[in-house]
Amino acid sequence: MSITTEEFVQLVNDDIGVQVGASELEADFDALPGWDSLHLLKLVTALEKSTGRKVPVGRLLEARSLGEIHRLASAS
Amino acid sequence: MTAPEAYIASIGTSLPGEPVDNEQLAKALGVNQEWVEVFIGTRTRHFARDIGTNEVRWSLADLCAQAGEKAIANAGIDPAQIDFIVLGTATPDTLMPATVNHVADQLGLDQLPTYQLQSGCAGAVQAFDLARTLVTSTGGTGLVIGGDVCSKHLDLRRDLTDAAPSELVNFVLFGDGAGAAVLTPEPIGQRVALRRVLNRLTGLGRAPGQVIEWFGVADRDSDKQAIKEDYKAIEEAVPVMAVEILWELLGELDWSVEELDYILPPQLSGRMTSLIYDRLDVPGVREISCVADTGNNGNALPFLQTERLLAEMTTGQKALAVAIESSKWIKAGFALEKI
Repeated sequence: MSITTEEFVQLVNDDIGVQVGASELEADFDALPGWDSLHLLKLVTALEKSTGRKVPVGRLLEARSLGEIHRLASAS
Repeated sequence: MTAPEAYIASIGTSLPGEPVDNEQLAKALGVNQEWVEVFIGTRTRHFARDIGTNEVRWSLADLCAQAGEKAIANAGIDPAQIDFIVLGTATPDTLMPATVNHVADQLGLDQLPTYQLQSGCAGAVQAFDLARTLVTSTGGTGLVIGGDVCSKHLDLRRDLTDAAPSELVNFVLFGDGAGAAVLTPEPIGQRVALRRVLNRLTGLGRAPGQVIEWFGVADRDSDKQAIKEDYKAIEEAVPVMAVEILWELLGELDWSVEELDYILPPQLSGRMTSLIYDRLDVPGVREISCVADTGNNGNALPFLQTERLLAEMTTGQKALAVAIESSKWIKAGFALEKI
């Protein structure tokens, strides 16, 4: 099951506790207020729960924006 | 006349129970296993508590006594030859009696001075510093111990869905364990001279990088986070401080980096330690680390590293250990030479 942009934004806001809008998905993590790398742990766990699929963690750790992570989680 | 020296005669260590791997830990915490492997880089750790039932299986005193007993046996001396004990820990079993005195009890030692240093990751080095001073000034033989039971603050049965990242990270970083060394005024056993010890507070005006709370009757129900890490500050400052400590120790010893055979870098996590070693930029110097297998068990780490070092070290070889306590930013390290 893939996850829409809207659902992804909601998941980041509600489950990860980082407030972002769809317009900020492509912002580099360094430019994203309130973001730090440890949020990835919660994001991976939440994404796997919501999509029912394994997320490629190694590639996800190299991602520089939430948009990239959304694409990784949605790719088959 | 040459100045008196202190020598490590032996090391003994103790890790509680079977190693807990990332599969078991990830399952207990409900987090992603691969993330722990890739991002933290620690493969296994040991816990003094049963991760299923939270029951305490070993106290800090138990682990320290086991390590101490092994160190005394490895030195080939009689326990009665121990003149003093120094223990460094951040996680004593009780505030009183100091855990060091229970350790003495378990080892059957009495009628001797005991010291306990309340300290984080630099505590083992501070224990070596005090013990070295005592050995060289009194000619006595000391038992130096470092250990921590970090799992006291990790309730693995808790639902961590709402845990802050600064709290969650502790569950995947830490472990429990203890180590001990017999320090003598003359070279016996392993015959490793403790050439220098660096122990210096550098945290004036700086916010702590790590805080561990303790709770009493009046605040036991407080919802304060028990362990807090400013991991961003740690990630930024520790590699820089490690490089400074390496070069400061080399300078004080008048050793060139080419003379150095081994480096024992700070043991934060498998991944951070490997980044710090790269940052030290001493490619010809062999790294001795243990954290990927043992987890970060605080004051046990320098002993676990030294145990691995002694398995390889040959006469004439030199080693430097670097430790950093990010709580209040303490620079620590020591220099060893096998004679």
